[in-house]
Amino acid sequence: MSASQFEPIPMLSSEPAPAPAETQEAGGEGNPIRAAITEAIAEHKVILFMKGNPEAPACGFSARTVAMLQSLEVPFAAVDILPDPRIRQELSAISNWPTIPQLFVDGELVGGCDIVTEMYESGELAQALL
Amino acid sequence: MPSAEDIKLRIEAAIPGARAEVEDYTGGGDHFSATVTAAAFEGLSRIQQHRMVYDVFGAEVGGAIHALALKTQAPSTINTH
Repeated sequence: MSASQFEPIPMLSSEPAPAPAETQEAGGEGNPIRAAITEAIAEHKVILFMKGNPEAPACGFSARTVAMLQSLEVPFAAVDILPDPRIRQELSAISNWPTIPQLFVDGELVGGCDIVTEMYESGELAQALL
Repeated sequence: MPSAEDIKLRIEAAIPGARAEVEDYTGGGDHFSATVTAAAFEGLSRIQQHRMVYDVFGAEVGGAIHALALKTQAPSTINTH
């Protein structure tokens, strides 16, 4: 188990968002948080939005989901949604899913802790992460 | 503060043919787990099934209802042990 098993992404850097050249997507005047989330989902094969980070999950459901991913030894990106309530709002608006954690694989929502648990137990998760 | 029974009744009222078993697993009225079996789930993905249940509660999930752990199944996929 290496330390590079996951790659945390700071969702909110202090730098101002670059002027959105071509954001026609929801938000109208450009929504940097939504754009950053969409981009992160697109750029990472496996990405987990969670409370806390993989080394210090701040919720039991997030902790369990991290543990399952780690036990499959799959590299995954992780985003802590706690630092700014807008992250969760925008994420749920994008995914149409109300709870945290949320696991995305290949740009698609796989589910929250319950679905990930069922898929882990049935072996489907390992398949999905190949 | 909803009770497990409230949650159960609301799920069963909102989803056609649903049967729900709901547990308030902390006793605090805000963390529930539910197993829902519904004919309406037939042919839907797990994501879609869970969304149907979450949709019953709208913004309450994540708000007044801190956690709603779900297990959903269509009647035809129930394992007989």
